[in-house]
Amino acid sequence: MKLVELARTVRSKNAGPLKLSLDLLFDDEAAYHRALQSPALEPAAMARLYGRPEGTVEILPYPAALAVKIVMDRLVVSGDIGDRDVYGAQQHAPLLDLEL
Amino acid sequence: MSAVGKLLDRRAQLRQCLKALGASGQLGYGIPEKSLAAGLAREPDYIGADMGSIDPGPYYLGSGELATAPATTRADLARLLRAARKLDVPLLIGTAGSAGASPHLEKTLAMVRDVAREEGLHFRLASIRADMPRQLVKQAVRSGRVTPIDAMSALSEADVDAADHLVGQMGTEAFCRALRAEADVVIAGRACDTGIFAAVPALLGCPIGPAMHMAKIVECASLCCVPGGRDPILATLEGDSFVLDSMNPERRATPMSVAAHSLYEQSDPDRVAEPEGVLLVRSARYEAIDERRTRVSGAEWFPAAAPTIKLEGSVLVGERAVLLCGSCDQRVIARISDILAEVSEVVRGLVCRDEPEDYRLIFRVYGINGVYDWPAPPDPLPREIFILGECIAPTAERASAVVRTTKQYLLHHGFPGRLSTAGNIAFPFTPPELSAGTAYRFNVYHIMQVDELAPLFPVEIEDL
Repeated sequence: MKLVELARTVRSKNAGPLKLSLDLLFDDEAAYHRALQSPALEPAAMARLYGRPEGTVEILPYPAALAVKIVMDRLVVSGDIGDRDVYGAQQHAPLLDLEL
Repeated sequence: MSAVGKLLDRRAQLRQCLKALGASGQLGYGIPEKSLAAGLAREPDYIGADMGSIDPGPYYLGSGELATAPATTRADLARLLRAARKLDVPLLIGTAGSAGASPHLEKTLAMVRDVAREEGLHFRLASIRADMPRQLVKQAVRSGRVTPIDAMSALSEADVDAADHLVGQMGTEAFCRALRAEADVVIAGRACDTGIFAAVPALLGCPIGPAMHMAKIVECASLCCVPGGRDPILATLEGDSFVLDSMNPERRATPMSVAAHSLYEQSDPDRVAEPEGVLLVRSARYEAIDERRTRVSGAEWFPAAAPTIKLEGSVLVGERAVLLCGSCDQRVIARISDILAEVSEVVRGLVCRDEPEDYRLIFRVYGINGVYDWPAPPDPLPREIFILGECIAPTAERASAVVRTTKQYLLHHGFPGRLSTAGNIAFPFTPPELSAGTAYRFNVYHIMQVDELAPLFPVEIEDL
């Protein structure tokens, strides 16, 4: 099953100019737990998907909102020369094809 | 009597029920009229609006320019000033002019004075500067009291000197000082979002945990709702809990949507660090009152042993020129990465001759890797691509010269298999190269430990 079939929201945004925060929001407990148990959402798998060194991606479950937050460093500080996405609002694209 | 004086007179009552109107999460882009009117009809005890952020990038802090259009900004300010004076309640605005350094604050204050004069409004205006004294920051660097945030490098004294503007985020304390000076309207430079909304509750002696949590949510207006939006939101602080009510009836503040808001633009959803302490929201409870209102309680406030300030600085890196063009030739698209590398090499030879390269030339190819740095091009290749060329050079003339030469040599670059010998790219208009102003980068994003907050954020009072 694809992540987008389970999640209500898949979004990305800067958390400060050096961090990228990806939020996955689910409608119900079943979908939230199903996603959270997937090996595709483990930190090492997420690091591979985003081409980052292992150990640099955090996965933070947030049960109060049935949400999973994924946090990593931005490759370029927001607005530095060569940045492609100053707000970091379009860095969720690899998640849209993710198989859980 | 001042607006805040009237609140203090009613403090016993207001500690049980205090109404805050979060008018805008980003003042200056326009406020939805109907929901603002609905919010004012509820007779809030104070009105707050956030006016800036670090999100729009380093340009605004570096240049001193506003991100919002002057006419729209002035109109937003005028509506809130009129409303606050009519209700005779405090109006608090944080991070004036997009980035909150002195040029942003001055431009915002000029608009406020202008509106007051034109509309015959009379009030006590407080402005709070957020520019950090360089000597003091350098002293803090030397004594090891400055630490980098995230992956920033350690701060050097040279960075401190180089920054075009260097601000610190003020907290609730600075807004309280302005209110204690009986200001009716507070216009603050760079400020924590929470300060705007937590100051009145703090002054009245409300419990600080729920007040801070409320402040953190309402500073984004109705973004905590489903569907989220920019409409004003009314928060009613009732001692240990608060109720959220969007002023647009279509936006519902549900327990889930409000809890999810803690995630927004935060790397740690449980923890909100402020100059005066830390707010922990893990213990918060969210209960539906009805379909579109939620009651929130339980967030905990832990005062810091020593106050800290988040520093933000932005430094000039050069002048920017851009080239806008596209292609729908599959042979160009298939080889675009090589073509751009070859053209860059040719351009370097032409504009530098034997001198070292004094500019940066960068391409983003939309359709291939413009938005996200994909590890490989798509298969099949897109039917069209858009090429954004960008040059950063010491002067605008130099950047423009590099881009103009790039344009011509990209148009006529020869490559194996080329059929379109009259031109590789299409220009949507002329000139296709544009000067894009000065480029900046964040060179300070650090935490500074201080002994005292008050001297760093001076309050100035004027009676209009």
